[in-house]
Amino acid sequence: MSVHSALEELARYRARNKRASQEVFEKGTLILQKNGHKKMGDEVWDFLEQLALAAIDVGRLEVADRCLRQLSDKFPQSPRVNCLAGIRLEASEPPETALKYYSDLLEADPTNVAVWKRRISVLRRMGQMEEAISELSQYLDTFYTDIEGWLELADIYACCNQYDYSLQALSHTLLLAPQNPVYALQFAETAYTAGDLPLSLKMFLMVIDMTDGDETECLSESTPLGITVRAWYGVKLCTRRMSRDPQLVTTSASGTSPPRHAAILDELATERLRVAYSSAGKKGDIAQGRGIVFSWVASP
Amino acid sequence: MILVGVLRHYVVFLLQPPPKKLSRAGVREQRALARSQILRATSSKSLIPPAYHKALSQYLSDAFKDGVYLKDGPPNGDAASSAANALTDPAAMDGMMAGMKTQMVMMVPQMIIMGWINFFFQGFVLIKLPFPLTFGFKSMLQRDIEAPDMDVKWVSSLSWYFLNLFGLNGFYRLFLGGDNSADSSRDMTMSPFASAGTTQLSQPQDFAKLFKAERDNLELSEGQYTWVGEDLDLKVLRKYGKLPPKLD
Repeated sequence: MSVHSALEELARYRARNKRASQEVFEKGTLILQKNGHKKMGDEVWDFLEQLALAAIDVGRLEVADRCLRQLSDKFPQSPRVNCLAGIRLEASEPPETALKYYSDLLEADPTNVAVWKRRISVLRRMGQMEEAISELSQYLDTFYTDIEGWLELADIYACCNQYDYSLQALSHTLLLAPQNPVYALQFAETAYTAGDLPLSLKMFLMVIDMTDGDETECLSESTPLGITVRAWYGVKLCTRRMSRDPQLVTTSASGTSPPRHAAILDELATERLRVAYSSAGKKGDIAQGRGIVFSWVASP
Repeated sequence: MILVGVLRHYVVFLLQPPPKKLSRAGVREQRALARSQILRATSSKSLIPPAYHKALSQYLSDAFKDGVYLKDGPPNGDAASSAANALTDPAAMDGMMAGMKTQMVMMVPQMIIMGWINFFFQGFVLIKLPFPLTFGFKSMLQRDIEAPDMDVKWVSSLSWYFLNLFGLNGFYRLFLGGDNSADSSRDMTMSPFASAGTTQLSQPQDFAKLFKAERDNLELSEGQYTWVGEDLDLKVLRKYGKLPPKLD
């Protein structure tokens, strides 16, 4: 592989924010060996950062150190390089050392977002959930629009079985990115886990409504794909559990009204799932395991 | 003169103070409004269920009322004069000084060149315009030449200087980019004090007042709130033809 094509490939990874560490590392070391980075111009710093991260990922710390040294020679005191150095510390030192390093950086500049987030992630890794949660809430209170942060908070809460808090955090992501059905799906699934079936059913329906396209005429003939299938599964699960246990229809922590026509919804979900796994639905590679799915949807 | 303009651009660039870092509380105060704006913007067709929306809206409203987001913490009653005088506030003073400094860099070389031209070329005619002009342009083109009968085609040195001064902006824009500080037409449109005045007014925002206004807006949007999910079961069923379409 030539240096030129390797560089192009790496630039593509950077643009897509892809974490293909092994590939990046192989290509990056090739470029380093052939001294291709000497004639890159300003792009070389981006490349070095990318290679350092990848090298840490695959455990080749000596390469990471080399990149880091060049970066810190060029940009002393840069917050971005500092953050990278912190990640390097996390890779080899005990988390307490990294935590101390981040705390010192934060003291110098309390608004350094990247360092603050690293600190929270170290706290979480050390198992200090309470500390991590309070720190993360404080962070989000300041930088409200960080969707990743809210997702992380929801994840931490879900790990601690605090599904209601998790839902609250997710509702912020819904506010911030109302166009993204993945967040709505996560909300629905969290609500399902929390036992709030009416809310969960509504949210699953919302995902379906968002993803199944607008053409009303051929909708009943079209095949659900991808995330829509998962949402139909959710609908099916909700309606089935509701029909088995009528008490679940009215138990909703969020005060959501019970769904109307639950029986028809159940029927529709069954039909859609059948379509998704029928021979016509071969497009999405999900036609395997058809028999299992058919018997599952048919069981009461 | 072009070189002077280029030089000026870079001197102004160097003189500009680095953007000041806000403290963590300052950032929080600044962004609190965006937070409720996001909530309001989505409220008429909100994705989040009523219980969550109500809790959020209530929380923000209370926080604005109690001044939780204010940089200096909740106000304590008697400190009514929160809108500090800009002249006593060192931060605001800094902004004013920066404006003065750049204006000085603008004015000084201009005055020097003008004095220099005035000294050496006073009373000289520098160029002849290739087209005739009416008599009204005389005062514009023949400054400091007292010759009432001379044709208006002849341009005096001082007038030529002024014409160049205003004509070079297009050049600077080519060399230095659109938002360059060599642009001399701005010198004329605002005096150093006028610019200081505008920055002074815009700088200290009274967040306590803004928050109060935002509370009213929040209440209003609370009234407009509807949940998208409310009739979604019917909507999806209709979409798939399981229920008859809506009659209206």
